[in-house]
Amino acid sequence: MSKAVLVDVTKCYGCGACTVACKLWNGKEYDDAKKPTVGEKAQLTDINWTVVSKHKVTDASGKTVWRFAKKQCLHCEEPACASSCLVGALRKTEEGPVVYYPDLCVGCRYCMIACPFGIPKYEWDKSFPEVSKCQMCSSRLAKNEAPACVSVCPNGVMKFGDSEQILKEARATIASDKRYIKHIYGEKEAGGTAWMYISDQPFEKLGFKTAVKNQSLPEYTWKIINKIPAALVVWGGILTGVYMITNRRNAVKSSKNNENKGGKS
Amino acid sequence: MIRINSNITFKMTGFRKLLMLFSGIFFVLVFYRFAVGLSITNLSDAWPWGLWTVIDVKLGIALAAGGFTTAGIYYVLGIKKIESVVKPAILTAWLGYCMVALGLLVDLGRWYGFWHPIVSWGHHSVMFELYMCVLLYTIVLTAEFAPIFFDGIGFKRTAKFFVGLTGFLVIAGIVLSTMHQSSLGSMYVLMAGRLDQLWWTMALPILYFSSAVAVGPAVVTCESALSGKTYNHEWDNEAMPFLAKWSGYVLSFYFVVRIIDLIVRGQLGRLFTTFDAQTFMCLLELIIGSVLPLFFFWSYNMSGKFMDKKMAVRNAIFIILGVVLNRTNVVITGMWKSAGTGYFPSTQEILITVGLTSFGILVYLFISENFGVFTPHGAEDEDVSVRSGVGASGVPTT
Amino acid sequence: MEKSNGKTGAVSRRTFLKGVTGAGLTGAAAALTGCKSTGKPAGGTGWTPQQYNVPENWPVQVRGRVPIDPENPSIVRDDKKCILCGQCIEACNKVQSVQGYYELPIKDDITCVNCGQCSLWCPTAAISERDDVDKVITALKDKNLHVIVQTAPATRVAVGEEFGLPPGSIIEGKMVAALKKMGFHGVFDTNFTADLTIMEEGTELVTRVKNALAGGHGGGEGGHHAPMALPQFTSCSPGWVKFCEYFYPDLLEHMSTCKSPQQMLGALAKTYYAKKKGIDPAKIVSVSIMPCTAKKFEAARPEMNSAGIKNGNAKMIDVDYALTTRELAKMMKIFRIDLTTLKDQHYDNIMGEGTGAAVIFGTTGGVMEAAIRSGYFLLTGQNPPELLFNLEPVRGLQGVKKASLNVPGVGELRVAISHGLGNARVLLDQLREDKKNHREPRFHFIEFMSCPGGCIGGGGQPRTALPPSDAVRQARLDSLYTMDAKMYKKRLSHENKEVQQIYTEFLGKPNSELAHQLLHTKYTDRGSQLTAKKKA
Repeated sequence: MSKAVLVDVTKCYGCGACTVACKLWNGKEYDDAKKPTVGEKAQLTDINWTVVSKHKVTDASGKTVWRFAKKQCLHCEEPACASSCLVGALRKTEEGPVVYYPDLCVGCRYCMIACPFGIPKYEWDKSFPEVSKCQMCSSRLAKNEAPACVSVCPNGVMKFGDSEQILKEARATIASDKRYIKHIYGEKEAGGTAWMYISDQPFEKLGFKTAVKNQSLPEYTWKIINKIPAALVVWGGILTGVYMITNRRNAVKSSKNNENKGGKS
Repeated sequence: MIRINSNITFKMTGFRKLLMLFSGIFFVLVFYRFAVGLSITNLSDAWPWGLWTVIDVKLGIALAAGGFTTAGIYYVLGIKKIESVVKPAILTAWLGYCMVALGLLVDLGRWYGFWHPIVSWGHHSVMFELYMCVLLYTIVLTAEFAPIFFDGIGFKRTAKFFVGLTGFLVIAGIVLSTMHQSSLGSMYVLMAGRLDQLWWTMALPILYFSSAVAVGPAVVTCESALSGKTYNHEWDNEAMPFLAKWSGYVLSFYFVVRIIDLIVRGQLGRLFTTFDAQTFMCLLELIIGSVLPLFFFWSYNMSGKFMDKKMAVRNAIFIILGVVLNRTNVVITGMWKSAGTGYFPSTQEILITVGLTSFGILVYLFISENFGVFTPHGAEDEDVSVRSGVGASGVPTT
Repeated sequence: MEKSNGKTGAVSRRTFLKGVTGAGLTGAAAALTGCKSTGKPAGGTGWTPQQYNVPENWPVQVRGRVPIDPENPSIVRDDKKCILCGQCIEACNKVQSVQGYYELPIKDDITCVNCGQCSLWCPTAAISERDDVDKVITALKDKNLHVIVQTAPATRVAVGEEFGLPPGSIIEGKMVAALKKMGFHGVFDTNFTADLTIMEEGTELVTRVKNALAGGHGGGEGGHHAPMALPQFTSCSPGWVKFCEYFYPDLLEHMSTCKSPQQMLGALAKTYYAKKKGIDPAKIVSVSIMPCTAKKFEAARPEMNSAGIKNGNAKMIDVDYALTTRELAKMMKIFRIDLTTLKDQHYDNIMGEGTGAAVIFGTTGGVMEAAIRSGYFLLTGQNPPELLFNLEPVRGLQGVKKASLNVPGVGELRVAISHGLGNARVLLDQLREDKKNHREPRFHFIEFMSCPGGCIGGGGQPRTALPPSDAVRQARLDSLYTMDAKMYKKRLSHENKEVQQIYTEFLGKPNSELAHQLLHTKYTDRGSQLTAKKKA
């Protein structure tokens, strides 16, 4: 059963417990000066798998309100990163997480370019670098535990559960409360993600990429890749045919040198 | 002059010394980079790919397209008049791919795992397809180049054996090239929403492949002009106009597809209505890479003028510049907005690219001077074919 | 293709191609059967506290932590040390009733009363006061500056703990000696302004009570439109003040307009003291040693620049740096001063005298007791009877205390005391209810202290065994009463010689025009910065 998390942006007061839980659970270092985890300058980085970014939003009535958006890998249903990986070092698991296996990785960084959300980060300053992104605590999920960040939230900002149930709840919440934007970020983005967001402020004001297409990205490539075997055979056949014809013609010209260029058929 | 033995020599000039210096720097930097990682680059999370990807990989492969195109024209289509360029083209391609492989190795964050794709297949990945094709094609090119090499060092029989494989190798080479030249484009299909609409299209693989087929002969043309100067060869008045025509027609096809694609996706208007870095670079790319060379080509073609060296080389340069601009635009310009920040390569990045290129040129010079790449070999080719049949049973398996 | 090609040609080539094909197939087979193992997935190498390692979404006793704005003037948190034990939430929610008492989403403020109780409870000291020690040391090193310091009542029974002394050790004289050794040019006692507070606040109370007795709604004495609402709330605890501004802004008219003793001394240092000593106020750096993290916030409040305004420079603030007791201990250690070995010294005069009434400001009920002693005098013109020097009902660690006493000529004076903001809500909700129903006020005067035990349990005090224990609070508290009863010569604020002196030489009389300018303040309605929960 695929798991999902619903983040209700309105409930977050920016304590950053989730970011600490992430660091504790994943043994990541801190760099408050250069790579803060909470606040206006918070950015996902190699050591920050999740951050809480602060946004001063001017709401409809002209008042400025603070909103905190918890960011991490969204764990796409059809992840572009996994589809881009030439060694299968990124894999979508049945439980939902998109997991990275560093032992397989060759470090081409295609996943970083491929991700529509710009999630995978890189350990640029290491000799043996890894791609770095949230694993949705896959080992905790395997034990039926919620991701660390979800577990520690004092306000229940994040709800963890079966994806259908979560989506249902999200829909119910935004339908029943008129403060919410009528949009579930992650329901359709990039073909749907395991992490979904609801908010009372527009998502583009909370640092979410809203230009992301609703279509699953791997589908684009797959449309091309699935034609390769056929193209391979047809193209190879045509070339062989032309080659043979050319060779025959040459053979007529000089009859003695045709034996080693026999065609295939 | 460096003399290794009576047969193998290498002439020293100031330019070559400079190349050697750059190559030396390259190797030192590469070791340093392997030790300290990619921190010597200006690459960042916003710019995971930069100069190396543009030049060492994307351009390297595109410009080495001369190998499979000339081989295809010569062997498959049987256009014998371009014979004089086939060997140098294959040498260039082989060297190009070796340099690409080396460049890629430097670019890989976990370079020591470069062999992983062979045993762990990410078959959904365009990159996997690219990797496999480049790997196999480099092997194919090596085999294609082998006769020249073995001939040069006197292993005639081994050379014969490889000549015997030519047919298979050429076809395999074309198929593999078709796949990976287009894959370089397909790679960016996944960047839907990130890559600027001026470049993102489902037609990327077609555009990449056709531009590679156009630029391959153009590179061969320039190379021939340069080597002609260095080695006092005569301009091949049969082969070169043919290549120029070939490039012209293929480029016409490319340009038509490109423009239609822009029109269909409603992007053409933007080129003339908005002015920003993206539209400027796109216009530059289209004008230099397509409009100018096509204008010259078609004006010569329609008026039935003979395509002389000047015209052929000029057009080739335009086409090459166009491809350089196109690949740079896809990797850098088109990603600029979605990256959010700027990128300029670090000195080390530039030195490694310059060094790699210098090293490639040195090896090219060394091989072409010692392995009879430019000797006219119409008769010899037939000669070898004859002997290959005879000597095949005696080939030592290595 | 490989195979088909292999069919033609010579034997050797076939062998070769067979080999190639075989190798290829072997490679493919190896790949498909997983020759290269995936290895371990990234992450998951660390730990989380036990309460979070349970399946599914079971409730747990405590999750997460309190939010702290990086701009918070009082407290900071070092994420590296945070273990998500949840103790800060326990303190903030259960003790202080702040976290969890406002609706989400938040508005444009991270609700915090700056009390620093979380920093006391935090087991790893991830939460601590914003450290201003370096700034004070820099000021001390600057020969051009005149650095003065004041010490709050509660510090003198606590700082010894940081040097291994038992809780409640009285080290007033040694602390003064240490401060002088560190090079402060004037070492003053917040007790002095505590006595002054009693004069001001007592006078204000008397005004309010008399106004009520007259049944009137008239303006105050001296023409100031002073609020007349009863009960009057004490205003010495900045955490409490901010709490009231946040959650009970409708009751702010009850808040005494008196500044806290810290701010009074700050304002006087750059006016009265500067004038008397002939020092340029711009060169005075005013430091305070407080048991409190909210004092840093209080000192930074924009309206706390009365001396500056009086001196014509609005940017000059009354108190430049407020250090906690812990910071003082740290500073002594930086100066390599062993507090325990020092010889006792006295506070410097004109702002160094304090009475027993002032020193008990540091405990819950202390302000009340001191106010009653002098209030009695202010109302009746006579010193209070012996009984009022040991007002047991207002003493002790019970959360809410009530007392009443008969004042000749006034009648029954009813007072209440609460400490710990959770307890404050009991009295505040009651008052709200009463006001809604137009009932007579139950009390005339209520003392509110933000922290459990009062200042001796302040957020800036030495950390104790967890959770901060009543035993320690009791020990510190007892010592203050000991000082009041046995050590200080005077036990009545109005008998403080220096207080009398400042009124004759500078301020005129309590609640005078100048006193209002320098010693009184206004409050900010912070109700719009949050959505207080109706009933938590």
